[in-house]
Amino acid sequence: MDFHWSDPKLWQIIGPVVVVQLILMVAALTALIKAEHTRGPKWVWAIVIVVVNIIGPVAFFLFGRRMDG
Amino acid sequence: MRGLAAMLGKEWLELARSWKWLWVPLVFILLGIMQPVSYYFLPQLLDAAGNLPEGAVISIPLPSGGEILAGTLEQYGIFGALIIALSFMGAVSQERNTGTGALILVKPVSPAAFVLSKWLAMAALVAASLAAGYAASWYYTVVLIGPVAVGNAMAGAALYALWLLVVGSSALMFSALWKSPAAAAFSALGTFAALALLTSLFPRQLAWSPGRLPAASRELLLEGAAGSLWPTVAVTALCVIGSVLIAVRAVRAHPAD
Repeated sequence: MDFHWSDPKLWQIIGPVVVVQLILMVAALTALIKAEHTRGPKWVWAIVIVVVNIIGPVAFFLFGRRMDG
Repeated sequence: MRGLAAMLGKEWLELARSWKWLWVPLVFILLGIMQPVSYYFLPQLLDAAGNLPEGAVISIPLPSGGEILAGTLEQYGIFGALIIALSFMGAVSQERNTGTGALILVKPVSPAAFVLSKWLAMAALVAASLAAGYAASWYYTVVLIGPVAVGNAMAGAALYALWLLVVGSSALMFSALWKSPAAAAFSALGTFAALALLTSLFPRQLAWSPGRLPAASRELLLEGAAGSLWPTVAVTALCVIGSVLIAVRAVRAHPAD
């Protein structure tokens, strides 16, 4: 079990993790663009979603949108 | 139970519009995969972190498949419960705030159908997310770590499904009782965190408590047996039914702000 960053086996294992994280990020960004009202400025949410792994998109989905808008 | 079918359609749409059908299962899948993957890479991670003298030999006993799955379920018990409670903390109160609740309840829809449709949507989301995440975790565990006892793994997950359901049901109940969504989420999470803590302090006296579910699931996965669980399961089921009934009463007594 000795891995280098170019090792294909490593990417076979963590590839799906990266893909799921990307889907989550893209979904959150799409929801952000579509949302009419957000709590706080949209560009801040965009940074949070892209920079903060997993928790960023989740925080946006939970707290970012106003349901009445 | 007038209007249940129509209300179910509405709740389904609500889950889709709020993206819950996508992001909740995805987060469960990520939580599930990370457990086996991080254990698998633990030696490399420690190595990369440095600080060890040259030639130091770390031998970490590779955990069994059951241990990894128990760890995954523990994550669901904490972060999964948090997500479920936070997603449904405004289920009823928000509809009161925005006035949709009043609009719906003047139509031929009974309060029972109103609450039950929300509960069914929540239960479906919990079941689907847990199943998807656990399947992903199970797959990775078998590939990277080792075999898993199928029966115990299924039973262990079923206990956590019940745990998430009772937390979600109580979030729904508190959202019908209280105006503030944050207070509803806090009450639901606080109740069950306290219950789990009390049960771990007094395991004998509280053997029937829903707070025993997480520990029982762990025992099942690690030791293969957890004693008689029927009292716990029965009391948990009663808690779920009780939460729904209280929510129905609250909606009937107080349909709008």
